[in-house]
Amino acid sequence: MKGLERTFPILLAIFALLVALASTALSQTTTGTVSMSATVSKFVELNSGGAITLTGNSGGGITTNGTVNNPLAAVIDLGELGPANTSSFVTASVPLKLRSNASYVLSLAATVTSSGSTANEITAADVGFGLGSVVRSGSGVNTTGTDTNATSGDPTLGANGSVNGTTGRYNYTAVRSNLGAFAASTTVLSGAFIMNAVPRSNTNGLTVPAIFAVKPQFYETGTTTVVATFTVTAP
Amino acid sequence: MNRNTYSILVLFCLLFIGGLSKTPAQALDISSGGAPTITGALSGSVSGSSSVLNDLSVTVNFGEVSPLNTNNIVKVVVPIAIRSNRPYRVRASLTSSTNANPQAVQTTDIGFGINNFRAMGSNSRVCLLSNHIIFSPFNNDPSTGVTINASGRAAYPSDLSDIAGNATILTGPRLSNGGGARATNDGYIFDAILAITPQFYAAGTTTAVITFTISNGPAAPC
Repeated sequence: MKGLERTFPILLAIFALLVALASTALSQTTTGTVSMSATVSKFVELNSGGAITLTGNSGGGITTNGTVNNPLAAVIDLGELGPANTSSFVTASVPLKLRSNASYVLSLAATVTSSGSTANEITAADVGFGLGSVVRSGSGVNTTGTDTNATSGDPTLGANGSVNGTTGRYNYTAVRSNLGAFAASTTVLSGAFIMNAVPRSNTNGLTVPAIFAVKPQFYETGTTTVVATFTVTAP
Repeated sequence: MNRNTYSILVLFCLLFIGGLSKTPAQALDISSGGAPTITGALSGSVSGSSSVLNDLSVTVNFGEVSPLNTNNIVKVVVPIAIRSNRPYRVRASLTSSTNANPQAVQTTDIGFGINNFRAMGSNSRVCLLSNHIIFSPFNNDPSTGVTINASGRAAYPSDLSDIAGNATILTGPRLSNGGGARATNDGYIFDAILAITPQFYAAGTTTAVITFTISNGPAAPC
């Protein structure tokens, strides 16, 4: 009994210590944290900038037009390109719209396939090409950003082509002024980021017309198919 | 002093220490209020305890917030439980990375609000003499209050820049009937809501930490 009297306080002390430790273990806290992170990747986008303009054509027409802010998948029938077409040029102007949150590069790769079999068939060199004026405008657009047009502009401009004095064939002579320069993917436009920090629902962006032109000539009879593929990247 | 007296003194001291260590812990407490959720994310996630008995430690990854994420908004709801046996104040403070590029994600680009203040259960103290007050401008769901400012950028009724200076977000009277350790029914829960609109931000990563602190609040009779 005497031993129990001696041991009891010690047991109680151990119990109290355990209570103290337990209350510490269960102790509540006055702070909590929420840690956050987010990622922004480079983003580039190419869409139609609107309806296509086809001029100088004889027959033909726009089979699949561009619809602004929708993916670009236009189909154009340039019509008659022989001397029966008395226009100086058949020209298709295809508006492009680009948007990015980083510096961008727009490239073009083109193929031209004709049914003819002689040097007088329509070749890639006979399809003039150039980008027109680059426009950055609207709310949310980085209007101070600069762009470099690697083409010579509207291929129908007098400075961009002329009749070859030897062959008599019309040539697009300026730098990257015909599709012969784009057998492999080649940069046509590059520049600074286009969009400020605005939602995707903002439909503004950079617009530029891609201009294709063919001068009606005494080409070999047949049909020609031109496929131009634009690609925008953020290197 | 005989051995028994000495033992009894030690016993009282330990009980006193035990009591001391327990009393302040019961007074004010903040913990998880349940499982956090995320919606609208692309490659995003949120993790945190679903138990109101565990500490508040939530990790939010908003994921991709460039236009690659075609959702209108990424929304995160973090339930937070609070308990007290006295008037309380909840503050929120922010630690974040700095993006010098104004087109990168800024603190103003992450909406922050609180709402859905609710009792946890039968031991939540109901005080009729004072109200629980969500401080302005935080009483909102930022995901439903998005506006577009003059420069075309998304804006919110309140955002992380509003807590850059350790802001009071909530005060009120006693929260708990109980006095013991955390229980599942002895306090209140509110939702902290975070929202970010995917935009043409400059590429990069952003980090931020919100610290919620509960402390003694202004007098609020129960």
